[in-house]
Amino acid sequence: MDELLEQFLIEGPEQVQQAGEALLALEGRPDDAALIDQAFRAIHTLKGSVGLFDLPAMGRVLHVAEDLLGAWRDGRQALSRGAMDALIAATGQTERWLGALAATGGGLPADADAVAADLVGRLSRALDSDAPPSAAVQATHIDTAWIEALFRDRGLDPARYPTVTALRYVPDAGCYFRGEDPIAFARAVPDLLALRITRRDAAAPAAAGAYDAYACDLVVELLSAAAPETVKGPFRFVPDQIQLLSWSPPPPPSAPVPPPALAEGPRSLRVEAGRIDALAQLVDELVVAKNALSDLAGQMADGLAPQAAVQILGDRQATLDRLVGRLHRTVMGIRLVPILPLLRRFSRVVRETATALGKEVDLAVDGQDVQVDKAIVEGLFEPLTHLLRNAVDHGIEPAAERAAAGKPTRALIRLVARREGDHVVIDVADDGRGMDPARIRRVAAARGLLPDRMLDALADDQVLDLVFRPGFSTAEAVTDLSGRGVGMDAVRAAVGRLGGSVGISSASGQGTTVRLVLPLNLVLTKVMVVAVAGERYGIPMDGIVETARVDPDRVRPIRAGRAFVLRDTAVPLLSLAALLGLPEEARVDGGPCRAVVARAGGDLVAVEVGAFVGRRDVVLRPLTGLLSAMPGLLGTTLLGDGHVLMVLDVPGLIAAATGDTAPMGQGAL
Amino acid sequence: MTVEVAGNVIHLRGACAAEDAETLLSRLQTAPESEIDVTACRHLHGAIVQVLLAFRPNVRGMTEDIFLRDWVIPNLAAHR
Repeated sequence: MDELLEQFLIEGPEQVQQAGEALLALEGRPDDAALIDQAFRAIHTLKGSVGLFDLPAMGRVLHVAEDLLGAWRDGRQALSRGAMDALIAATGQTERWLGALAATGGGLPADADAVAADLVGRLSRALDSDAPPSAAVQATHIDTAWIEALFRDRGLDPARYPTVTALRYVPDAGCYFRGEDPIAFARAVPDLLALRITRRDAAAPAAAGAYDAYACDLVVELLSAAAPETVKGPFRFVPDQIQLLSWSPPPPPSAPVPPPALAEGPRSLRVEAGRIDALAQLVDELVVAKNALSDLAGQMADGLAPQAAVQILGDRQATLDRLVGRLHRTVMGIRLVPILPLLRRFSRVVRETATALGKEVDLAVDGQDVQVDKAIVEGLFEPLTHLLRNAVDHGIEPAAERAAAGKPTRALIRLVARREGDHVVIDVADDGRGMDPARIRRVAAARGLLPDRMLDALADDQVLDLVFRPGFSTAEAVTDLSGRGVGMDAVRAAVGRLGGSVGISSASGQGTTVRLVLPLNLVLTKVMVVAVAGERYGIPMDGIVETARVDPDRVRPIRAGRAFVLRDTAVPLLSLAALLGLPEEARVDGGPCRAVVARAGGDLVAVEVGAFVGRRDVVLRPLTGLLSAMPGLLGTTLLGDGHVLMVLDVPGLIAAATGDTAPMGQGAL
Repeated sequence: MTVEVAGNVIHLRGACAAEDAETLLSRLQTAPESEIDVTACRHLHGAIVQVLLAFRPNVRGMTEDIFLRDWVIPNLAAHR
């Protein structure tokens, strides 16, 4: 992908977001000139950037959006609901297009032209309907004298050029300030036959003292042998300033571009220069430390006493340790980004969903100063989108029902992020009707998620947790918006992949709160390394309650399984070898049974392992490709000796092995 | 430096951008008899072109840029 496009893909989304935020805020404060200005500037900059690439559909939409905002800014037009909807739709579409560009490396989807035409239509209607009828919007009078003059000037024989495209471009006075260069536009016209550049008022001599070089007074007239569509290309952002005439039959419309294959776009990150300097400095220090080791190796070769060597080696190792630690912290710092921009993006999601459902919903966002790992920010968009759509669709009652219940008709959803220790907690709280445990029980029973007696045994708050199970959906009618075949189970899985967990609480009539708890950074995970059947595996420490050595005599067989009593609680004992499908190894007689006690769902479970090897801080790599669908596996990591360590998701493993009959959530560790 | 003054001659070099129009304008205002040399010029921004059109200095030199040579420069010389 070329550099310009890469840069654009970084800045574009930021500008879309600025525009979107300003537009949403304008709904509440339609007279705020600063907001109109912010939206205008963002759209304007975007339009300018889009002009650098071959993205005519996007350019057209942004151009009309800019016109509309310009009309507001200059007070030529009042804010209307229809116009606002059209503008918000335009920013939303632009954002989707930017996503498509990032995924394909430079192509818009095949339907872009049709979508753009629709948006341009909506925006133009908004622009026309509210504007006072302007005098000369439609230039019906076509003056062709200049074309004949061009033919004469260049000595062209009209008979030799029966089909030419003539274009007259009168840039407005402020065009230089928008970065437009009429000469560059003319340069981009193919198959030029004639070009005349004059001043608008050629007769008036420039007053020597007061000539303004930056108030454009040029008139550009040209003839080209190319088709009008091609000639118009360079002028696509100034359609109101050109007059285009063709003496040729209109060419057939070009064939639609086939949809480009989607690929994962490169990810990029903006970093403060100071942080990079700090990194560079650390690397310098690392080089020094490395040299000190070579030095030591030399001394040892020269017969340094082993005792002294050990001492020096210890010192140098401590230095390296300290440097590597600092390096790691610095890199982690670079990966931390504020979460607020992500949360703000959802204003539009909520608004779009609410509008589509005919509800009035406000989103209150808070998360000042909360920073999380970039990977987490990226991974949260999908699940949060789903949760918010769900809240608007299922959580919030229709306005009439709210009024009857004595609530304000405008509903409120709060999306709040805050930091708690090493974790970030994100709440999605609506003030809707709340969830009905009885109804969830009925649905769960109807879907056969759990045997009846287990359902009866569950407390109400545990029943709510059932919505996260695959195959559960309480919506009786699958709506277009939230019923897209992704349920809450997908949310739990997505959050689990980020190393987080999801919980839900609800008060009937007062609303529902979904709480996501995520680690601040993804990268270092504490794992316990265990051995089973001669293989080593990692188990995340934060899922482990304790490790236990149990006397074999205390393990009692219970039906097909085994259990033991741990401080007055019966804990089922499962064999890790069996869960992994490995051959059981015979325990050395008399030796204790080693088990890792973990929490799965709400219950304790012990998993028998062959041996505890130790603890490690590891960089967990998420699984990709086919492996990512594998239940029970969180990721892999590289050990110091070059071995790959598989890190297990114990609750997921248990759920998969027991045919998903026990009430435990995948990825809850 | 794309606008360079050498005695009576103003050399326009490389791609002349909008910012250069100010320099060119003030030079033409102080020395209206200056000649413009476009030999080393690659592009002329609209703001430059309009200053040249407004003050009509003598333009000389043959630029290698075909677009400027064939289409733009003739406009600057046409009505002298």
